[in-house]
Amino acid sequence: MKKIKVVSFLVLLAFVFTLTACGGNTAKNETKETKEKVFVFAKSGDPVGLDPANVTDGESIYVTQQIFETLVKYKEDNTEVIPGLAESWETSKDGLTWTFHLRKGVKFHDGTPFNAEAVKFNFDRWMDKNNPYHHGEFEYYGYMFGGYPGVIKEVKVVDEYTVQITLKTPLAPFLSNLAMPSFAISSPEAIKKYGQDYFKHPVGTGPFKFVEWKKDDRVVLERFDEYWGGKANFAKVIFRTIPDNSARLMELKSGNVDAITDINPDDVETVKNDPNLQLLLRPSMNVGYLAMNTEKKPFDNVKVRQAINHAINKKALVDAFYGGLAKPAKNPLPPSLWGYNDEIQDYEYDPAKAKALLAEAGYPNGFTTTLWAMPVARPYMPQPKQIAEAIQKDLEAVGIKAKIVTYDWATYLKKGQNGEHELYLLGWTGDNGDPDNFLYVLLDKDNAKKGSASNVAFYKNDKVHDLLIKAQQESDQTKRAEYYKEAQVIIHNDAPWVPLVHSTPPLAAKKSVKNWIPHPTGSECFFKVDKDE
Amino acid sequence: MGKFWEKDWIKRLLKNKAAVVGLIIVLLLSFTAIFAPVLAPYDPIKDGSLQNRLKAPSSEHLLGTDKLGRDILSRIIFGARISVEIGVISVGLALIVGTLMGLTAGYYGGFLDSILMRIVDIILAFPSILLAIAITSVLGPSLNNAMIAVGIVMVPSFARVVRSTVLSLKEMEFVEAARAVGANDFTILFRHILPNSMAPIIVQGTMNIGTAILDAAGLSFLGLGAQPPTPEWGAMLVDARELLVKAPWVAFFPGLAIMLTVLGFNLLGDGLRDALDPRLKQ
Repeated sequence: MKKIKVVSFLVLLAFVFTLTACGGNTAKNETKETKEKVFVFAKSGDPVGLDPANVTDGESIYVTQQIFETLVKYKEDNTEVIPGLAESWETSKDGLTWTFHLRKGVKFHDGTPFNAEAVKFNFDRWMDKNNPYHHGEFEYYGYMFGGYPGVIKEVKVVDEYTVQITLKTPLAPFLSNLAMPSFAISSPEAIKKYGQDYFKHPVGTGPFKFVEWKKDDRVVLERFDEYWGGKANFAKVIFRTIPDNSARLMELKSGNVDAITDINPDDVETVKNDPNLQLLLRPSMNVGYLAMNTEKKPFDNVKVRQAINHAINKKALVDAFYGGLAKPAKNPLPPSLWGYNDEIQDYEYDPAKAKALLAEAGYPNGFTTTLWAMPVARPYMPQPKQIAEAIQKDLEAVGIKAKIVTYDWATYLKKGQNGEHELYLLGWTGDNGDPDNFLYVLLDKDNAKKGSASNVAFYKNDKVHDLLIKAQQESDQTKRAEYYKEAQVIIHNDAPWVPLVHSTPPLAAKKSVKNWIPHPTGSECFFKVDKDE
Repeated sequence: MGKFWEKDWIKRLLKNKAAVVGLIIVLLLSFTAIFAPVLAPYDPIKDGSLQNRLKAPSSEHLLGTDKLGRDILSRIIFGARISVEIGVISVGLALIVGTLMGLTAGYYGGFLDSILMRIVDIILAFPSILLAIAITSVLGPSLNNAMIAVGIVMVPSFARVVRSTVLSLKEMEFVEAARAVGANDFTILFRHILPNSMAPIIVQGTMNIGTAILDAAGLSFLGLGAQPPTPEWGAMLVDARELLVKAPWVAFFPGLAIMLTVLGFNLLGDGLRDALDPRLKQ
């Protein structure tokens, strides 16, 4: 017996030594790697997918922005369009034919060349529902180009580095649309190779290439050494998913991550006062809103919708939940965009008036309804549940009893697209700096189709539709602005939403992080970002 | 066992200091619950404005205000009502179902006993809070469903206690006497056996009220129980988590209320067990 004990003790000892030896090795490896700069970036949600053409959420797009590039792109701090994969372009007088001259010597991460054929392959895949590689919903293509194939008639290869796109009708925001991350060019060979699974194996031309994606944990990217624009400063970029706002900030404070998104407004002061951290502000180009499902009773009654607009104390909400980094909204468009109608007078906070309107609508004692609240922090609404509770209290004061309902993020969006809700909180960050991207996407009848609706109020007004289509086909910006201003007046009177807030989303990083310029569209490429070791 | 109807257990209970502390806490809680509208300085739901949010304890708001500017003291006082309601209803539910199951299984035995006790075993095979989460997920999140879930989870404890008591009681002479006189099963079960099993049922019930309040608070914390704006203690803790550094009172006082209540019921339950069955103590 004793022998056995001694032997097992020795075995155990051996084990412990081997383990510690291993530990020592990994520690050495890590220190070796830190000579190469690694950028760790923490967000609140995991990507839905990494095929840029098939995602609409900011959590996915932040990652695809690093891997992919578009034909044209935005300037680093605004939405002015500048050359991207296309060096130059011209358009015909009627605005229907666009010719793009592509950059030469660009390679995809899998070594295949970027050329006109590749561009045509991508467009055909998005446009044509019968294309063998049309795996997925391609929502953004539908939202921006009016369906499949929508407004694009044909994409033609002129020569190896020239592509011609023909439109059926003029589309004023066409060029701005092409700069959206969703219209990034993927490697045709990779799409053919991975088929349905391409969203897990993204291959683009960007400064970083994809290495691995551990679901709900991290996405790891590596520098692409043959990038046409030179070498990125970081050997690796790691996106970590940390859903809890406070936990994410703690990770930044303890130094485990370099930068984070979506900080609690209550924590803004904490970040400002920390000598090791810096607070960054993303320029405001968003709206947080409460949509009322106009297809359901009693929200089909405009008086009820106006009553709710009068019942909610927006100013108090903004003061309480945004740490001074937001403005109450009166329009669906953010004031930073051209075409914003500042002449509109907001529905003032007036519970008595709200009650009177409810009585006129036939609900003197109010009614019972549901109020849907997002389960995750969004840039336009960092604490959706608390805001929902405050709105619930405001509604209760005018006699409306609202039950708060919530689901996981993907289900929440899906049920909203299906129109299962009554009162529904959501928001939107502009993608291209064009009013079309707010008004047409969020409030046109074209986008109120159950199942894929982005107009979750299911607001259908033919007058508004005519104005928005006219604005799409007009190239003169002054005239377009007039159309949008007129549309905003009708929308204001019909009140399908309670526009709540335009926020300036706060971000935080270590002091050592340099050249990080938050873009108004909600994400940016980390090519030029650097940090002092 | 049959000591419940004698009076000297009360004396024994009052001699036990811990039990008296428990009793006082329980009485205080019941008093608060009954007189909540009189005691609370503010309305727990309607009063308060966003301008007043997250104010530290002061003479105006003794325990401070929460994220919507509501008075925390008033919410805790009204929360006592909800906690008592949860305790009584869910334990009542478990007590009725469990006792009936225990009586039937213990008295008739055989096949029926096997079936009922296997059901009990199945319920016991799940960690209780996990089972409660599963039930509320199926029924939908609400306070009533949380009470049902907590009730179901507690059925086995009553069923087992009652069954074992019945097993020993049914062999006793007074039961045989009743049977000899011609009493039917119903009379024997409910007039003779049940009154004599009251002591363990009461002890079990008291102890379980504490657990029920804790479980329901847990469910509310996970968003499966009481829904906003109900001033339930567990629900009050949810948002407090993010405010721990900035406004610790938002988390501290509801947490303290839960702790004291559960402690009170447990102390009282322990005391009752010792008082009702002195043999157990040795």
